[in-house]
This record gives sequence, C-alpha cells and structure tokens, in this order.
Amino acid sequence: MTTTFRRLGAVSATAGLVLLTAACGGNLGSKSAEEAAENFPDGPVTLTIGQDPGGSTDLIGRALAGPVSDDLGVSMPVVNRPGANGALAAKELESAEADGQSLMVINMSLAAITPLAVSEDQAVDVNDFEIVTGISTDDYVLVTNADNGWSTIDDLKNAGKTLSYATTGVGTGSQLSSELLFKLAEIPGKAVPFDGGAPALTAVLGNQADVASVQLGEAMPQIEAGKVTPIVTFAKERNQYLDDVPTAVESGYEVEVQQARAIAAPKGTPQEILDELKAAFDAAFETQAYQDFNTDNLLTPNEVSGDEVVEQWTTALDRYRELTEEYDIDLGGGQ
Amino acid sequence: MDYSSVIQGFSVVLQPENLLYCFIGVLVGMLVGVLPGLGPAATVAILLPITLNVEPVTAIIMLAGIFYGAQYGGTITSVLLRLPGEASSVVTVFDGYAMARDGRAGSALGIAAIGSFVGGTVSIVALTFFAPFVARFALDFGPPEYAVLALLGILLVASVGSGSRLKALVAAGLGLLLATVGRDGFTGAERFTFDSLALTDGIDFVPIAMGLFGLGEILYNLEDRSGRATAPPKMVRALPSKDEVKQSSGAIGRGSVIGFLLGILPGGGAVLSSMAAYAYEKKRSKHPERFGQGAIEGVAAPETANNAAATSSFIPLLTLGIPANATIAVIFGALLIQGVTPGPQLITEHPDLFWGVVNSMYVGNILLLIMSIPLIGIFVRILRVRGTILAPITVLITLIGAYTVANSVFDIMLVCVFGALGYLMKKFGFEPGPLVLAFVLGSLLESALRRSLILFDGDPSGFVTRPISGVLVLALVIVVAAPALRALMTRRQNRAKNEELV
Amino acid sequence: MSASHEARTPEELAEQWEAEKPPAAGPLSTAAAAAVVVLLGAAVMVASFRLGVGSVQQPGAGLWPLMIGAFLVVSSTVLVLTARRFDDAERFVSSSWLVLVGLGTMVLFALVVGTIGFEIPGAVLAFVWLRFLGKESWRLSTIGAVAMVVAFYLIFVLALQTPIPHLF
Repeated sequence: MTTTFRRLGAVSATAGLVLLTAACGGNLGSKSAEEAAENFPDGPVTLTIGQDPGGSTDLIGRALAGPVSDDLGVSMPVVNRPGANGALAAKELESAEADGQSLMVINMSLAAITPLAVSEDQAVDVNDFEIVTGISTDDYVLVTNADNGWSTIDDLKNAGKTLSYATTGVGTGSQLSSELLFKLAEIPGKAVPFDGGAPALTAVLGNQADVASVQLGEAMPQIEAGKVTPIVTFAKERNQYLDDVPTAVESGYEVEVQQARAIAAPKGTPQEILDELKAAFDAAFETQAYQDFNTDNLLTPNEVSGDEVVEQWTTALDRYRELTEEYDIDLGGGQ
Repeated sequence: MDYSSVIQGFSVVLQPENLLYCFIGVLVGMLVGVLPGLGPAATVAILLPITLNVEPVTAIIMLAGIFYGAQYGGTITSVLLRLPGEASSVVTVFDGYAMARDGRAGSALGIAAIGSFVGGTVSIVALTFFAPFVARFALDFGPPEYAVLALLGILLVASVGSGSRLKALVAAGLGLLLATVGRDGFTGAERFTFDSLALTDGIDFVPIAMGLFGLGEILYNLEDRSGRATAPPKMVRALPSKDEVKQSSGAIGRGSVIGFLLGILPGGGAVLSSMAAYAYEKKRSKHPERFGQGAIEGVAAPETANNAAATSSFIPLLTLGIPANATIAVIFGALLIQGVTPGPQLITEHPDLFWGVVNSMYVGNILLLIMSIPLIGIFVRILRVRGTILAPITVLITLIGAYTVANSVFDIMLVCVFGALGYLMKKFGFEPGPLVLAFVLGSLLESALRRSLILFDGDPSGFVTRPISGVLVLALVIVVAAPALRALMTRRQNRAKNEELV
Repeated sequence: MSASHEARTPEELAEQWEAEKPPAAGPLSTAAAAAVVVLLGAAVMVASFRLGVGSVQQPGAGLWPLMIGAFLVVSSTVLVLTARRFDDAERFVSSSWLVLVGLGTMVLFALVVGTIGFEIPGAVLAFVWLRFLGKESWRLSTIGAVAMVVAFYLIFVLALQTPIPHLF
C-alpha cells in the first residue's frame, strides 16, 4: 500500500516537472519575441490597474477593457495591483514578459510628478515602458467652500490669513499645482495632505481646509450643487466642461498641471504587437459607450500615439523639476 | 419631502425579475464573501461585471444584494474559522468563534443575521427620513474630531478581550507600530519599509487579521492538546433559541443606533461602530467576564452595528457624493457605470434613481435574512468536518485569499509571518485582538492628529474649543477617569462605613 | 468531545477551558517576551529620530513612531517588572515542533507559488497536513490533497478568474 503511493507520488512529481517545462495553460509561461508577435493575442490580455477598485483610473481601465477585448477577440481581465500610487504595478510590468499579454493603465503623475517626491530608485521612468496609446486627461480644479465668498485668486490673496490647502497626497498633481500656485501668487499657505480626492474635498465642504486642488470629476457634483466655488483650473486650456472658469495661466500664473493616463506595455514589446494593440484601443475609443463614459466622467480624450505621450510626460517632468527648484518647493517634505 | 416617489419606487423594485436578481446577488455575494481575503470591497469588485449586462434598476438591486451578501459572508468566516474578512468584523471573532467552539455556531450566525437585518433596516428607515439632514452633521467631522474619536476607540481596545490589561496595551502598541509601516502620507518618507516597494503602502489589514487570528489559531491547535480543536464540536442547535434572541435584543437595539450614527462619518465609521458597540455592551453587562467566552451579545452588538453602519455609510455617498470606505467606493463606481451620479443633486434631480437605490437596500436586506437562516445549517456543517481535514483547507484558503487582496505574492509571506506571530503571542499570553484593532485605527489616529496639528498651528487647545471635538474630549476624559473615580468613591464609602462602625 | 462539554453556563465553560489549558510557563516567559518588546520600542525610538521628528506645527515623519516607541518601552518595562503576577504564558511542549513543520509548508508555498503556480505546493501542503500533522490515512491524504487543489482551481481560477499564479 505504502509503496504504491510512494510510486504514485514519484510519478506525479515527474509529471509536474514535465508540465512545468511545458508551462501549458497556466499564467507563468515564457516565449521568444518572434513567437509572441506571430501568436498575439495568445490567450487573455491582462490589464493591470495600479490603484484600488472604484477610483477613476480603475473605472477608465474597466471601461476600455470591454470594447478592446471585443476587438482583439480574447478576454481582457482587469487586475487591481494597488501600491505606492501605481509604482508597484509599474515595477511588476517592467519585469513582465514583453509579449503584449500584460498591459497597465499608467498615470502621468506617477511618471512626471512622483519622481520629484520620492527617492530615485522608487521613481518610475516612462522611458522604461512602451506606451501603446494615450487615453484621456483629467483637469485639476482649485475649489473653496462657497460660504467663503471667494471666487478669484485675488480673493485668496486678500483673505488676510494663512490659507490651508488640502491636497490629495504627497507627489500628486494636486500637491504640485497648489504648491506652485501659492508660491507664484505669494499667498501664505500651508499644505494639509489627505488620502485621495474625496477626503480632501470633504475637508473643504466641512470648512476644515480653505481650498483644495482636486480632479474635476470629483468636484463637479459639488460645483453644480453650488457647495464649492471653482477658482481656477490648472490645464493649458479651459476645460470643456467648465468653460467659464479661467485657467491659472490666464490668471497670470504659469502653473500647468494635469492628470493624464496611458496604456503601457513592457519595454521591448514587438512593434507589430504594439500596432495591433493601438488599433484595438482606437476602435474602443470610437465606440459610443466609451465616449459617453468620457462625457459622464468629465474626461478629455487624449488618444495620441505612444511616442507623443512619452514626449508630453518627459517635457512635463523636466518643467516641474525646473519650477520646483526655482521656487524652492520640496514635494517630499524635507527628504 | 415628497414621498410619493418612494412608494412608486417600491413597485419597480418588487417586480419578480428584480427580486430574482437580488436573490442571485445575495447568494453569490455570500458565497464569494465567505472566502477569506475577499472582503466586501473585493467581492463587490469581482462580481461587478455580472451586473453590467442587465437593466440599470435591476443592476442596482442586484448590487444591493451582493453588498449585503458579501457583508454577511465575512461574518460567517469570523464565526466559523476565526478569519475576519474585514476590519469591521474583527470583534465578532471574539465571541463568535468562542460560541462556535462550543457548538453554538448556529446561534451565533443566526443572531448575526437577525442583528444585521434589524440594524440594516433601522438604518435604511433613518436614511429614508433624515438623509439630507444628517449629511450636514457628517461634514462637521474634521481631522480633530477623528483624532479624538480614534483615540477613544483605542482606549476602548484595552477593555476588549479577556486577558490582562497591561498585555493588551502592549499588544495595542505593537498594532499602532505596524500601522506606521509604509510611505508617510505627509512627507513621503519611507518608514520601516526596509527598502521594500511592497511595503510602501503599508501592511494590509487582511494578512494581519488572517495571520494572527486564523493561522495563529490553526498552528496553535497543531500542538493538539486534549483534542479540543480537532474533534468536531457538537451542534447544540442550528438557530438561536428564544432566550438567546431575548438576551440579545437590547444589544441589537443599541447596536443599531451606534452603527447608524458612526456609519455616517466618512472614513472608518463601520470599524469604529462595531468596536464601540462591543465595548459598550461589555461595559454595561452585569457579567463582563463572559465576553470573549461566547457571550451572544458580543456577536449581536457588533454585527448589528456594522451592518447598520454599512447602510448608513450610503448617506454621505448619496447626499454628498463622498464614498465613506472602500466598499462604498466600489459601489460608487458601479453606480456611475449605471448612470447614477451620487452627489448633492441626486435626490432633487433624479429622485427616482435615489429612491431606487434606497428601496433596493430594503429588499436586499430582507432577502439576506430570508436566505441566511436556511443556509446557516449548511455553513455550520463545515464545522463538523474533522479538524485534521478542515485545517489544511483553511490554511490554503487563507494563503490564496491573502494573495487575492492585492494580487501579491508578498502578502502570502506576510500572512505566514503573522501566523507565526499569532502563535507566539498565544503562547506568551498576549491576545491578538487589541493588536489588530489598534492597527486598524492606528493610521486614522496618526493622520487625523497630524492634520489637526497642522491646522491648529500646533496649538492643542483647538481640540477642546471646537464644539464636537470638545464633547468627544469630555467623553474621553470620562472614560479614563470613571474607573478611577469609582475606585475613589468605593474607598470613601468604605471609610464612611468604617467610621460608622467605630 | 467529552461529556463535560455539555457545560452551558459561561462560568462552567471558563472552568472547563481552564482545566484543558496546557502547562503554564511561569513569569519568566512573560518577562522575556516583554524584554523583547522593550528592545523593539527602543529601536523604534532611535529610528524615529533618524526619520525626523519635526515640530508640533509641522510634525515630521518620526513624531508618531517616536511616541509609539516610547509607549512600548514604558508599558513593557512595567510588564517586565510585574511579570511575577502573570501565569498566562504557556510552555513549549514536545509537539510544538509540529507547529514548525506546519509553518514550514506555508512558507514553502509562499516561496514557490510565484514561479511554479499554486497547484503543486498546495497539494504538498495539504498532503503534509493531512498525513503527517493530521495522522489521516495515506489514501485519504492523497485523495484529499488532490481534491482540495482541484476545488481551489475551480473556484479561484475558473469561476472567479483571480490572477493567482497557476500552472495549468
């Protein structure tokens, strides 16, 4: 009896090893670039989100996964891998197989702002990835509680006190945009970091903080309800959904900060695969459902090529680095 | 307010097709929520796709079903396997598992279902009538109020559990320490991460709770003394007896109120509510020593409170557009996909959608009660499996469950580490409960405290001068001073008696 | 379970559990554990200063950990000093090494799951727990181990489509 089972054990162990080398059907395989390009898509294409489920990056990823998977003809599971504002997911993607089967939604702030706040080995460089396509941009808007009666930057200047500004966290566009604006406009202020847009906005609604820079999608319901007043947006141009609010640049302060998102693949993914993916995403961008999604979430399409995304983000990082050095702003709080 | 749309909403919700979807939602939510690691937030996220292909109203009703089912699923594992799926059912473990060990798992699960139903319903009724009013009060809770509230919660921690107070305090200190691991949200500095990127967001609650409670207990039982844990406990009954229901009715009533009030607060409300309800029951009980040894009120109070809180946390979402916790954030996303934008305008501009969401919660809650009662028997049967067979199943569920929280192999290692720590703590006479609870509140306390100090320019008197935090500080002082005062009083009384005698 | 398990009142239960308790390890064990925590607290305090304590107006990253470190040092020092009063620690017994074996299978699982998937380490773990830690029969252990892995595969890979590393 005992021997039979020992033998069985040996057999199954060998079988295991054989299967291991063949790597059949599992999610652990590896293959060469040419093979990958020929067979693409070979099974499900995983789309990783570096944030928790429910956030705007997650929603965008899930809105795209459906139509893209229809176009590619394979399933596209969306996997949340939250951690370090997406850096964890990015580091994992870097070491993933460059066969187009693993992609992620990457945030501009991770590549263009966070590097200014964290140590070098934790910074994510957009050049370490192949960018498949840009997706959309999301504007930051500076809001204040409507009860304060402030509606312009001059009102803030004349408030006559040190203003507290709520940010959505360290190394975010929210922090950078408000730090820059307060410095450039010479408004005395102190930063109060929160964990994300909702609590920062709540602090303004509850009058615990004077102003907050948050993403437009989050602030819009409160703006429409008249609970908070938008003061400026931080994009280059006025936002299409809020076109009566001036940009910071129009108000005379060179502060241009945006959140943008793109699809990233591991470095070295063959061009054929990238092209095929780009075509699939372009098809998804064309669908009515996705366009409605953009409108519902106040997102501005930025469906540019990967090279353009890299160009946009690298320029932004350089500019932010210059500005923070020039105005002696330390996003990392004294690190 | 115009309530005709409320009535109208019900006729939609009660259509057989919608009821069927809600039924499926509760069932699937419960089955997936029972898997440790898959707490309510993850369960709802995983099941989200199945709601996308149905009509919006139906989808929302189904979501409500999934939501309640997932909430209850976490209770089942807390009671049966000592694996809390989320922070708000940690305290359920104390008495729930003790009851299960004693063959009263059916009573524990039954009273949890009844309590959840009552708490949820009380909250929905209150939500129906007072939502816009209470929403305003939630906004007055800023960093200073949270700081005091969290501190109050942590002081209550010491009274939770049954071991020595001093050891509980040390364990709570360790919990606070573990909560500081990760990138500091204020300065970006890496704290105790040992250069590991996997630790930059800190340690997740799930590996800590599953490791300390679940694996710790299983490892401890491997020492196999007197067959206590390996023999299947004898089932006393599948449902709570009349006496047990009677015994817990007060706890359920108080739990509903505590849960409703604390659940409105964005951030940590549900966790605080279950702890507060438990601590309060223990405090007012004539036999506080029964708590932790299988007191049915110790299950009824927190389970009622966390479901009441889970329901009332819809208030800030529906009226302010603020998701109060991770689960609600996922629901927020799901509602957006269905074309419902939660926020201050929802109730005025789309009353039909607003009431659709509220009414589907009534239905989800009722279906949960109807379905959980017969299912309890099936779940309890799990316990009758021999311990030697149940143990590896639980270990594998825990390891795989730990992975699914953040899809991270690192978390599997963490859960092993905390399993070992849980075993050692048990050997050295430390309760894991205070550690886990302090861990849960630790980051809330720290960030609220630091935000307050920044806002007050370092002047601590701000905590007292703000009206709500002032009242909370007073409560804090009473909690700390009451035992001391009582001791003083008895001493004086004794002295008076002695003098009389003389 | 024994007939005494019919004990229903909490007092009886507490008594019964008390009787089933393993041998106590004495106060020295509590003192040793507390001493470890004292050292940990001290180390945390040192590390906190290095992180930067900041000021009350602008608290630094180290302020809160410093407070916790101090709290740990104080509370566990009291514990060391009053250890005589504690008898709730348990001695390690001969079967304690089984715990190490059990823990070993889990760590093994964690170490290899990323490279070879969960099926093989999962089956090994289940088999060791059933056969060697649980003293089940060879037959039941083998069938049980395979059945568990198959069930988990069906639930987590096929039904829920979680990305848990899997070989098949």
